[in-house]
Amino acid sequence: MDASTTIRADLLTLTSEQAMMLSPYLWVFGGTVLAMILSVTRAIQPRLPVFIVSVLTALVGMVVSLGLFAADRVMLFNNMMVGDSYANFFNVVFLASAALTMLASFEYLDQERLQYGEYYLLVLFAALGMMLMASALDLIVIFIALELMSLSVYVLVGFRRADRRSNEAAMKYFILGAAASAILLYGTALLYGATQSTNIRDIQAFVQSQSGGVSIMFTLGAWLVIVGFLFKIASVPFHMWMPDVYEGAPTPITGFMTTGLKAAAFATFVRIFISTGYGDGLPAAIQSHMHDIIVVCAVLTMVIGNAVALTQTNLKRMLAYSSIAHTGYILVGMIAGQGSEQGYAPVVLYLVAYAVMNMGAFAVLAILAARADQGLNLRDFSGLSSRQPWLAFAMSVFLLSMAGIPPTAGFAAKYLLFYSAVQAHEIGLVVISVLCSAISVYYYLRVLVHMYMHEPEEGAAPLRPVSVWAAAVVASMVVLTVQIGTLPAGMLAAAKRAVMSL
Amino acid sequence: MAWLDSHLLTATVFLPLAWALAGLLVPARAEGGSGAIKSWTLVGSLVTFALSLLVYGRFEATGAAEFQLQEVAEWIPNLGISYNVGIDGISLWLILLTTFLTPIVILSSYQAIDRREKEYYALLLALETGMLGAFVAIDIFLFYVFWEVMLLPMYLLIGIWGGRERIYAAMKFFLYTVVGSLLMLVAIFYLAYQHKVQFGSYSTALLDLYKLSIPGGELLAPQSILFLAFALAFAIKVPLFPLHTWLPDAHVQAPTAGSVILASVLLKMGGYGFIRFAFPLFPQAVALFQVAFMTIAAIAIVYGAWVAMVQPDIKKLVAYSSVSHMGFVILGLFSLNALGVTGSIYQMLNHGISTGGLFLLVGMIYERRHTRAIADFGGISRTMPLFALAFMIITLSSVALPGTNGFVGEFLILLGSWSASPALTAVSALGVIFGAVYMLWMFQRVMFGPIKHKENENLVDLSFRELAVLAPLVVAVFFMGIFPNFFFGEMETSVQRFLSRSNLTVAQAAVVAPEAPAAIILQDPGKGN
Repeated sequence: MDASTTIRADLLTLTSEQAMMLSPYLWVFGGTVLAMILSVTRAIQPRLPVFIVSVLTALVGMVVSLGLFAADRVMLFNNMMVGDSYANFFNVVFLASAALTMLASFEYLDQERLQYGEYYLLVLFAALGMMLMASALDLIVIFIALELMSLSVYVLVGFRRADRRSNEAAMKYFILGAAASAILLYGTALLYGATQSTNIRDIQAFVQSQSGGVSIMFTLGAWLVIVGFLFKIASVPFHMWMPDVYEGAPTPITGFMTTGLKAAAFATFVRIFISTGYGDGLPAAIQSHMHDIIVVCAVLTMVIGNAVALTQTNLKRMLAYSSIAHTGYILVGMIAGQGSEQGYAPVVLYLVAYAVMNMGAFAVLAILAARADQGLNLRDFSGLSSRQPWLAFAMSVFLLSMAGIPPTAGFAAKYLLFYSAVQAHEIGLVVISVLCSAISVYYYLRVLVHMYMHEPEEGAAPLRPVSVWAAAVVASMVVLTVQIGTLPAGMLAAAKRAVMSL
Repeated sequence: MAWLDSHLLTATVFLPLAWALAGLLVPARAEGGSGAIKSWTLVGSLVTFALSLLVYGRFEATGAAEFQLQEVAEWIPNLGISYNVGIDGISLWLILLTTFLTPIVILSSYQAIDRREKEYYALLLALETGMLGAFVAIDIFLFYVFWEVMLLPMYLLIGIWGGRERIYAAMKFFLYTVVGSLLMLVAIFYLAYQHKVQFGSYSTALLDLYKLSIPGGELLAPQSILFLAFALAFAIKVPLFPLHTWLPDAHVQAPTAGSVILASVLLKMGGYGFIRFAFPLFPQAVALFQVAFMTIAAIAIVYGAWVAMVQPDIKKLVAYSSVSHMGFVILGLFSLNALGVTGSIYQMLNHGISTGGLFLLVGMIYERRHTRAIADFGGISRTMPLFALAFMIITLSSVALPGTNGFVGEFLILLGSWSASPALTAVSALGVIFGAVYMLWMFQRVMFGPIKHKENENLVDLSFRELAVLAPLVVAVFFMGIFPNFFFGEMETSVQRFLSRSNLTVAQAAVVAPEAPAAIILQDPGKGN
């Protein structure tokens, strides 16, 4: 009998290490199911219990992942998944981002009359998808996890059902996202054809063994997979969906997308990137070819993201373009990853810093958004420093961090990222990056100008009361932004440990 | 006290920030005005000044160590970045200038600032921390952090409390500086990486970076490119012609205290950056670009003076005079000899005192008349004799009359640059004459003649508070003019060290004959008149 028809017992049982490594996934799944049951129970008023169960699920899962961070690598499910520091590091990021999103949403949903249990369930399912993505080693598993995440987020984007913008955003995102998924899947098929495997480690081993270069089928497959991810991270020229989706989605979900979704896409992208032609010990011809095209993408992403952000007057849209620009910076770090001593650690650190400051910024926006997500235009921020001094201060910290002004997380992360690019002899690229980030200072500061240097608009709508949950999110993100900015050594060491386990 | 003893610089740098944070707890609008926050801030700045005097007391003029009162602590060990502070005879005086001026500008703001006072005074103190930090940092990463950090309070000071075009001016100020400093950041990456390549370990400590050998000598050699990246950041800050266009806007729009700090300390940051970083790190590039930069400096001197001459607005006139005066600083630095460099450093201090004083005076008259146009005045000396006297003293210091501080600085710079380039010195000397023309002409139009405007007939002379603001500056003008050696003592060793790093001929001469440095030994230049 050949191997495919026998039932191998070792695939069906788990060792204790494997069970341990899987515990955060099982916990999150269990918590989600519990929340789901609660949300359909008619005996109780489900609003608060679902919220509490969901937040606790994410928070406890985060703590468990944190505890597993230092554990040794464990292979799971016949090498289809791996439990390593890298995966656990990102699990912490995803679950924290999910928990913070839910905390920032509670009051917002009440105000928008959208307080349904599904919201929290979908956030948790999306987080579970992200977790599986970051730990998957098999392109099929990656695809399934990606779909779990994406489908949940498609629904979340369209959650404001009565709002046309929200519907439009969900539809756009769904159609384009489905197309990208198809491209990814097609690439996977081609890679399987070229290498007889869908496991990214096998693919990597295959590439390394091809001293004379790889077949066209492989190259095409690798490119399609990478294009799929370039779409997910919204790199130019695959960025068109993003501003509309960001603008139309409920504000806390936009925050979730910039933090969790982006981190998940990049976390998986790094794994795939290494295996499909940019890893160690590859034929130079493959590497440099790939290198040039990614450089072009990175430069275009930075330039277009920043240039278009300059003209935006809606803050959500502006942050969407700024998110595109940041994608460009992270791509610079990815390009430098192989050539510098820090490897991909700056990329990971940048993702964390970016997640922290964006989570904070969108929490502020969620607080400030008036009914139906209006009131997020620049002029609505006029005189915010006198109406809500603490919110204005927090927003300034996040914006300055995005602009890369010390002593904030954004500066520390940018410093390390560009430094690693200089190490990798990408000086031209670094010069372009810093000039782009000089451009970005303008539009970030423009918000500060409105908050601090303009008087409040006549007849501006009164602000909503700030809920305790949202305030806690904002405050903790301010602390983290400054903490990573002033003492980045700890976070850098953690990021380094994570990428070492790759 | 033991902690203070070993962390004196840290305490001096961070005290204002800590004080500002504590000040946020002081009630902003207690019954009977905002006196509490004003006094609180003033006391804080005075305590900082006292601490800096302690620093002065502990400094040894002939100390063997390059940097004294040094403190080192690990920061980001992964990249060799450390919290590393220390001072030499050059930064010492700039620190004292900063701490000396801060209480003065705080006192000068008592009446001018009537809204959001708490934030205003907190930002002034935060700004002081940023400036002091940049002067004491001897780790290039730390320097960069402070360099950027101090932008922000200044940006807000201009943008919130400034004049009508304040937002435009604040944005321009910020963007100019950021563009320059980001290119410097790339150069910093390169240096830090070179240290790893050449010595096998990461470090961003300045003394380690001085040891790097970077190929130079040609226009496109790494050293030249790195030097230009640094020079761009510093030249924007100085500001050197033709990168000066942010300055008139920022100066004119900023509130008085902002203008004073900007002129007196922030512009010095540019000159200081050249001295501390650009010159010693890239001596071959300095030799290569010496003539080019001296030429630009000479142009800046004459151009700044000409433009100042035709300004109808007093504040704008003073702003352009800064362009001219800071041109002298660059001229002296690039003359690369002891006289020129000492003169430059001295001129930085002088400019801080005299231009700061001029801005204060302009602010005082503006508070009374709400105009700064020269044409709106005339005959003020009759209604405000004390004001006129103070104005005259500061003006004379600005035009470098012998006996005032300005003379010593400009005289030394011209002496120094003469041996480097007589032709450019001759051109620059014209700037001194033009300087006298525009300053005295302005003084005459504002102070003398008949009173043409009715509003000027009942102007109130200086109050006691305003006298307290101006008196220290007037004293400093004369003290620095008559006893320059008091200041040169501390500078001498540091200047020699600077030259042995930055001037290739001096460096080579020092190798041959370490006993006799090639530079000229300073006598008492004050006797030169």
